[in-house]
Amino acid sequence: MRRALVVLLVVLGVAAPASAQDPPALSIRPFVMGTQQAFAAVKTFDATFQKSRAPFFGGGVQVVMLDRIIVEVVASRFTQTGERAFRTDSGTVFRLGIPLTATITPLEVTGGYRFPMWEHARPYVAAGFGSYTYKETSDFADPEENVDTRRSGFVVNGGFEFRLHRWVGLSADVQYSRVKGILGAGGLSQQAGEDDLGGVAARFKLIVGR
Amino acid sequence: MRVFRARTVCVTSVVVAGLALGLRGQTRDGSRIFIQSVGLPGIDRGVIADESHSPGTVETARRAGLQASLVRDRIGSAGIPYVPGRILVKFRDSASAADRQGAMTSISRTAVMAARLSYADFDVVRIDLSEDAEAAATALRQRPEVEYAQAPYRMHTMFKPNDPLYETMQWNLPMINMERAWDIQPQAGSTITVAVLDSGMAYKDATITATLPAFRDEFGRLYPALGRVTIPYSAAPQLVGGTASGRIVAPHDFIWDDDEPLDFNGHGTHVSGTIGQLTNDGVGTAGVAFNVKLMPVKVIANEWDFLLRAPHDGDDQDVARGIRYAADNGAKIINMSIGRTGPPDTAPAVESAIKYAVSKGVFIAISAGNDFEDGNPMEIVAEIASRVTGAVSVAAVDPSKGHAFYSSTASWVELAAPGGSSRPFGSQGFIRQQTFDFAFTDTFLLPPSQFRAPRFDVFGYIGYIGTSMAAPHVAGVAAMLMQQGITDPAAIEEALEKTAVDLGTPGRDNTFGFGLVDARAALRGLGLAK
Repeated sequence: MRRALVVLLVVLGVAAPASAQDPPALSIRPFVMGTQQAFAAVKTFDATFQKSRAPFFGGGVQVVMLDRIIVEVVASRFTQTGERAFRTDSGTVFRLGIPLTATITPLEVTGGYRFPMWEHARPYVAAGFGSYTYKETSDFADPEENVDTRRSGFVVNGGFEFRLHRWVGLSADVQYSRVKGILGAGGLSQQAGEDDLGGVAARFKLIVGR
Repeated sequence: MRVFRARTVCVTSVVVAGLALGLRGQTRDGSRIFIQSVGLPGIDRGVIADESHSPGTVETARRAGLQASLVRDRIGSAGIPYVPGRILVKFRDSASAADRQGAMTSISRTAVMAARLSYADFDVVRIDLSEDAEAAATALRQRPEVEYAQAPYRMHTMFKPNDPLYETMQWNLPMINMERAWDIQPQAGSTITVAVLDSGMAYKDATITATLPAFRDEFGRLYPALGRVTIPYSAAPQLVGGTASGRIVAPHDFIWDDDEPLDFNGHGTHVSGTIGQLTNDGVGTAGVAFNVKLMPVKVIANEWDFLLRAPHDGDDQDVARGIRYAADNGAKIINMSIGRTGPPDTAPAVESAIKYAVSKGVFIAISAGNDFEDGNPMEIVAEIASRVTGAVSVAAVDPSKGHAFYSSTASWVELAAPGGSSRPFGSQGFIRQQTFDFAFTDTFLLPPSQFRAPRFDVFGYIGYIGTSMAAPHVAGVAAMLMQQGITDPAAIEEALEKTAVDLGTPGRDNTFGFGLVDARAALRGLGLAK
């Protein structure tokens, strides 16, 4: 993150004024994305995966209007195999050697505003909603013991987009998501008192288009 | 905890009381019986050898990682995993080769018929790994050429012991979900040592030479001295037979102060059978954690111990010493199907020993008491268990998961397990494991003229009921939990209580505690959301 911030400041320093270019009134821009998410359910993910930060990969499309209004649809995916576990009330975790695979597939739609401050760097903020599909399977499970559910949540994000080329951009932002209704009703998340499948993610997008 | 013996409960209790009275005036001269470690062998049957699939080891992590990298199951619409890349199809006999090809290409451009497998009346149609085999099978089933089509759903083991009495008499093990627990842990606690603090265990073949003195029974009848007698003694074949002969760890006898804790009663052998009876060997009954190591620790004296003038009686001293001995000699689980009643705080030696053992990482299962119909008095050892996290007191349920008529009810009850009941189930309600055939051991029940030396080499599958029978179910499951990776006794208690099936009044109650132990739920642990 610190390195990204330094790169951002350097890019901002050499950025030309926005008026130097002639942005289109409407631009449709596909992108690919990688994120590193810190899950809000730290104890739950730690117990299962021995870590509470994990990458998502995905992509989507942005529609930019008048160089300022931005609407984005993004789909991504996280999948990881850990172990079923038991967590005591005092917080000690015992992993049981039974493989468990969790898959999270967010589909998020956000709308936001880009600030036309510099030619090569556009700060932006956005907010929106997401639909989150969560699947959890483990060895020795009956079908009804696996989880396959979908819930909605909300997201807010903010960051910068940098123009690397007339047709290629790179964006970095931080997104906060909150997803209720999947965790907290059972399993380790209930034991840990955690009910949010969201968290804070550092997102990086490679954007094609003006 | 004394048991309700199925066949001889009334007679035995009267006779034992008489013997105890009759022996009161005798001198304990400390004379010992002589045991030679040779004797008639037990029945030698095969047994599943211990495996090294222990969770938490490097090997296990590697196995899990390798499996995750090799197996690419897809989860079907009903949540059932299947192997992607193929469909099992039975074409109608009337379908021509062209029809079959047409059906295949109609559902996928990548569909290819594989060569017919042996022992299969269906064909395997290969499709691309990324394609949805369930959807393709559904589409194929709509075709007139197809009789059936399905995705290849992954099968898993559903271990059911082949011991013949398991199917017909052991209602107790399915009740606590053992079959599916064994699916999770086929090795059934193979690296864990369970100490059985009881009347001893029929764990070795021996020949006993002893002097049998005269005695009077409760009716005042004189039983003649038999003089020096030779008593045959055998290991219970279903405890240490076959390749399981090495499962006995550090045996010790606090009644006779030696390392040969031979069971002269049958209770300890029966309890040990519930914990670890040899299983899936096509013989007799099954046990819960059938690969555990067993540590026989004799702390209870019975009729023959009294008659043979053992130096110790089986009191708080012996039990406290036994607990500490087990903890110091490698036991990870202690089963105590024993106890006594009395006022609170009158067993500090036992309480101290229990706390010592738990502090050394030993989980303890203790029977909750059989005195519900006798005024439901305080059970001292069980009460201690309720105050020590890492030790649990276990009540008994009958075959209908109801309160067993004898099972003590009180604040100290923490868990419930099958203890059996004759009301109204008759002999079908017993807990059956292999132990001595009492017709050969309890010769003091015969008239004086027929009195003869006992023999401890004839076994049967005898029905017992009692919280003595409930506790070893919990001890066995605890051994499997420890094998699975929960190494802290307090955590084992927490896991057992949180995964128990609530019975009776919602939440913890004085009859069932937190509920009926569920071996599979405890072993399986928790996922993120479920």
